Amino acid sequence: MPIQFQRTDQGDESMLRIAGSLDVLTAPELMPTIDALVEERRPRVVCDLSGLDIIDSSGVAALVALYKRVRAVGGQVVVVGARDQPLAIFKLLRMDKVFSI
Amino acid sequence: MAARPTIRLIVPGTLAHRAVAVRVVAEACRLVSAPGIERTADGAAYDLRHPFDAEFVSAFAEIYNNIAIHAYGRRTDGGEIELAIAVEPGALTVEIRDRGAPFDIGVVSSPDLDSLPEGGMGIHIARALLDEVVYEPGPPNLWRLVKRIAPSAVTTATADASA
Repeated sequence: MPIQFQRTDQGDESMLRIAGSLDVLTAPELMPTIDALVEERRPRVVCDLSGLDIIDSSGVAALVALYKRVRAVGGQVVVVGARDQPLAIFKLLRMDKVFSI
Repeated sequence: MAARPTIRLIVPGTLAHRAVAVRVVAEACRLVSAPGIERTADGAAYDLRHPFDAEFVSAFAEIYNNIAIHAYGRRTDGGEIELAIAVEPGALTVEIRDRGAPFDIGVVSSPDLDSLPEGGMGIHIARALLDEVVYEPGPPNLWRLVKRIAPSAVTTATADASA
């Protein structure tokens, strides 16, 4: 299952929509986008996961990297729209609180 | 008692073949969570609407990743992964055999979730979502994954089947 992602900037906010499968095979595709968000020191990154069907621990690691790196340069990260399997995995790893889901 | 029906599948032990294995396991899950009920995957997505299916597939995918990445070292010319999937009323057992490097599961500790780890979560996910995760170093190395469906769900499925 492929991944689709799309970044949209509006003012201080960058919306990152991730859909499909975020896993060990597809997570590396996201890294250049994460690098750019960090490099540009975006003040607020909203991760919309309403189109995300399935995630694995590598996908979670990519989101944790996004969260840590954006915060390290003074930005904030919010995750919205997680559902079904991805939401269950976030809860299992207690990341629902970190991501303010 | 009759031998339990077993589905056997052999795939090359690479991440590129993971989707094939996951799809077969997802289909086997349906034989447990919704026996006799045809469900159709919508488009490219796996049908993981039943929590049993979602949890088993999540755990299986982590173990598969572990084998392809660690036991076979991401090689594309490595060995094979053999699956034996046993479907029983209310339970699914998947045995996974590989001939890659064995590892010491005893040294795998639970990740410190408060520190926001970026790795080491795979085995933790599998253990948390399944009833049994057994590893025996080989060759062949053996993973045995077992999950039982909640008793209320089995009762419902049995009632549906006899109706």
